[in-house]
Amino acid sequence: MPGRQLLMTFPLTVGSHTLAEYRARGGYTTLEHALQQRTPQEITQAVTAAGLQGRGGAMFPTGRKWAVVVPGDGQPHYLVANADEGEPGTFKDRWILEHAPHLLLEGMLLSAYALEARHCFIYIRGEFDLPYRRVAAAVEEAYAAGWLGKPIGDSGFACDIVVYRGAGAYVAGEASGLLSSLEGKKSYPRNRPPRLTVRGLYQRPTVVNNVESLSNVAGIVAHGAAAFRAVGTDKSPGTRLISVSGHIERPGVYEVELGYPWRRFIDEDCGGVLGDRPLKAVIPGGISSQVLTAREVETLHLSHEELWSAGSTLGTGGMIVIAEGTCMVHLLQIMLRFYHHESCGQCTPCREGTGWMHRIINRIVAGEGRPEDIERLYYIAKYNDGTTICGLGDAAGYAVSAMLDKFRDEFEFSIAHKRSRYEGHIE
Amino acid sequence: MTELVINGKPVQARADQTVLEVALASGFYVPTFCWHPQLSTAGNCRMCLVEVEGRGLDIACNMPVSAGMHVLTDSEDVKAHRKAMLQFITLNHPVDCGICDKAGECRLQDYHYTYNGERSKSGDPKLRSHKLVNLSDRILLDNERCILCLRCTRFTHEISKSMALGVERRGDASAICAAADRSLALDPYSDNLIDLCPVGALQSREFLYKARVWYLQPTASICPGCARGCTVQIWHRKADWQLKALDARQNSCIVRVTPLENPAVNGPWICNKGRDLARIFERRRAEQAMLKGTPVALDAAVDAARALIQGARHPAALISNWASNEELAAFKRHLGGRFTARVKRDCEPQPGEPLQDDLLIRADKNPNTAGAQALFGDGPPTLPAATDLVLIWGEGCDFAALPHGAPVIYLNSYLQPENGHADVFLPLSVQTERRGHYTNFAGTVSEFQPCFRKSDSVADAEALFEALALPAAVSA
Repeated sequence: MPGRQLLMTFPLTVGSHTLAEYRARGGYTTLEHALQQRTPQEITQAVTAAGLQGRGGAMFPTGRKWAVVVPGDGQPHYLVANADEGEPGTFKDRWILEHAPHLLLEGMLLSAYALEARHCFIYIRGEFDLPYRRVAAAVEEAYAAGWLGKPIGDSGFACDIVVYRGAGAYVAGEASGLLSSLEGKKSYPRNRPPRLTVRGLYQRPTVVNNVESLSNVAGIVAHGAAAFRAVGTDKSPGTRLISVSGHIERPGVYEVELGYPWRRFIDEDCGGVLGDRPLKAVIPGGISSQVLTAREVETLHLSHEELWSAGSTLGTGGMIVIAEGTCMVHLLQIMLRFYHHESCGQCTPCREGTGWMHRIINRIVAGEGRPEDIERLYYIAKYNDGTTICGLGDAAGYAVSAMLDKFRDEFEFSIAHKRSRYEGHIE
Repeated sequence: MTELVINGKPVQARADQTVLEVALASGFYVPTFCWHPQLSTAGNCRMCLVEVEGRGLDIACNMPVSAGMHVLTDSEDVKAHRKAMLQFITLNHPVDCGICDKAGECRLQDYHYTYNGERSKSGDPKLRSHKLVNLSDRILLDNERCILCLRCTRFTHEISKSMALGVERRGDASAICAAADRSLALDPYSDNLIDLCPVGALQSREFLYKARVWYLQPTASICPGCARGCTVQIWHRKADWQLKALDARQNSCIVRVTPLENPAVNGPWICNKGRDLARIFERRRAEQAMLKGTPVALDAAVDAARALIQGARHPAALISNWASNEELAAFKRHLGGRFTARVKRDCEPQPGEPLQDDLLIRADKNPNTAGAQALFGDGPPTLPAATDLVLIWGEGCDFAALPHGAPVIYLNSYLQPENGHADVFLPLSVQTERRGHYTNFAGTVSEFQPCFRKSDSVADAEALFEALALPAAVSA
């Protein structure tokens, strides 16, 4: 087990996702106590003190996000759980939605209490079938049990949760794109300022948090900020759910204590690289994080600060393990096809740049690469960085420039010899 | 007030302004495609990227001012990024300026020459998309030229509220499309999209391939289509570029009409009726003076009219509310003492024409009712029973309703059956042939300029009234 566990604390059984079993594990007692004994400010303070960082990929401190919402400012506040998990390689929120939906709901209720939000939304990826059914069933159970819809006990706090299914757009996972979609529009991300915590859903202060971030709230409130900080490292407290895929013996979702040695996680917890091949590279947190070579991975620990200093990020926790013998040119083609397909088309650099890069890489893979193509890819990546409305364009650029930086010889080989050094293998 | 520094120059700004607004107001040009002062901020073209010292690049159109910020609108980094944005924008733009009506007044063209000037960095084929899409019987859409600034969709959502346009698909396959259940044909303001489009993606079907804009010149004028009195620019061929081979009428026709921005009256918009001024002014003109339908020289007809006026004991006049303030004043000055004058309505709303809305269109379909009523009162256009001479000025008069037996002097610009029934018919010039002012429904006075020379066989109303009054002045 990769370190201590905060979320995966119960055995998975046929009924472990139900309200009855969640109650039997002590579920909703934190909420009951908090509503009686804690003020909303105390909950925000606990989350701030715990140093919880957003688990959706940007690692923005959750407490700082919440602090922007002014209590009692006379307008409705909204809380939205971002369950539109769409980053390639990432399927960790799915574990919570399938196996611990009530943990999410309790976290949302506590957060809604802290933020004075009367209405909450769960925006769930449309392709998620079982997770949707589990969450929808959990919300129904919670309504029937009186946790939702009417005042809980004598606290006067009541909250409604609406589950909304997305229709399959990657940018709808970006917080402002998500809100546009939730409002019934095309999921175009919005320009900042204003921040969403100032003007978000229906132009009201809105907090959009990742499912995993919200699922950590109940634990923080129950055991205190210090207990949360005791897990993980100083600068990245707590654990991360990491979904491992690619060339790995035991793919799946793991809860990793932050600061856990990376190589040990791959070799021991995940059973090593598939077929005992040597490790070539790892994409640490969804394809939008910069790829790291086996040599870089060797000494690193899985913590936010160490990955940042290595020029990458733990991102969404979607780890893709790449074994020796994989064609990085082909891999980049697959990644760029995704960005091209998912660019919403709103702002210029990303709309044109993702397609441009995709067409260039298609040519290289087809053996029609030109010597200037690598410089061109760098150029497109450079002018997507920081010039777009949301992070999609930047992310595509990061992915490309990291690939080119670290595996430039493979691209040059493909262009010069009009074929892949590894015959295009990606399996 | 907030003080910030743009390119080293300290400038004052209101706290609610954006850096773009402040920069433009203080004389620093920042290129934009999607930004428009009357529309919401989309921030999608990314052309207005500016550098804030210590904070890097961001778009100026969505950047609130903050005290002491140092903005650079022309740093090396900004220039490099502008170049790159133009590379992106032209990546799939066909660059078919040679056959594009927008050429010569196209922002993309201007910016390319000003800020980029380089060949495309891509050697790959451009993406194809739908061309010559009929959005309505007035507007054509070319999705290849479209740079997706979304000015048009925002206009139909925020200004005209027809909700007729949207975007389908995503990424570089995004395309402007007509909404399934709404039609741009029902939008009386749709032609503003043609001016609004910063490139040649939305084209006027009326103007399509009619002229290159650099052969045209605009003349400030006023749309006479309703009491709003929107200021417009009437585009006609430049004097230096007259066509010699074709029909001479090509040289003195209205080629197109665009709004003349005027915050006091119409802002930057006009309605579709204002685009079709040619349908008003280029109807078949009356250019021949007549006595009871018999053609005579203009001078002879004026003499006859003068004789009728001198002989009348109770002359009455129906005043045109299409006349300029100058003409109305001339009538008042020269003939006002002799005539009982009533203001008539020259034009009534046509069937199917939008009557009135909250944006511009007014129910009174005449340009100068306010100006005419200011001089001649707002009484009904009925004449005293004792009337023994009627002077009718302008269209829209029912001859059958006139006092029986009274001779008629008729002043009109267009060929109409009534012209021949009048005892004296005097052809008049039209608005595009003279200078003048109209007073709109709210009392705002605007000016129009002459675009074309009037024919010698038609009279100018101002001079005509003076001529009609002359002998009376002599005998007195």
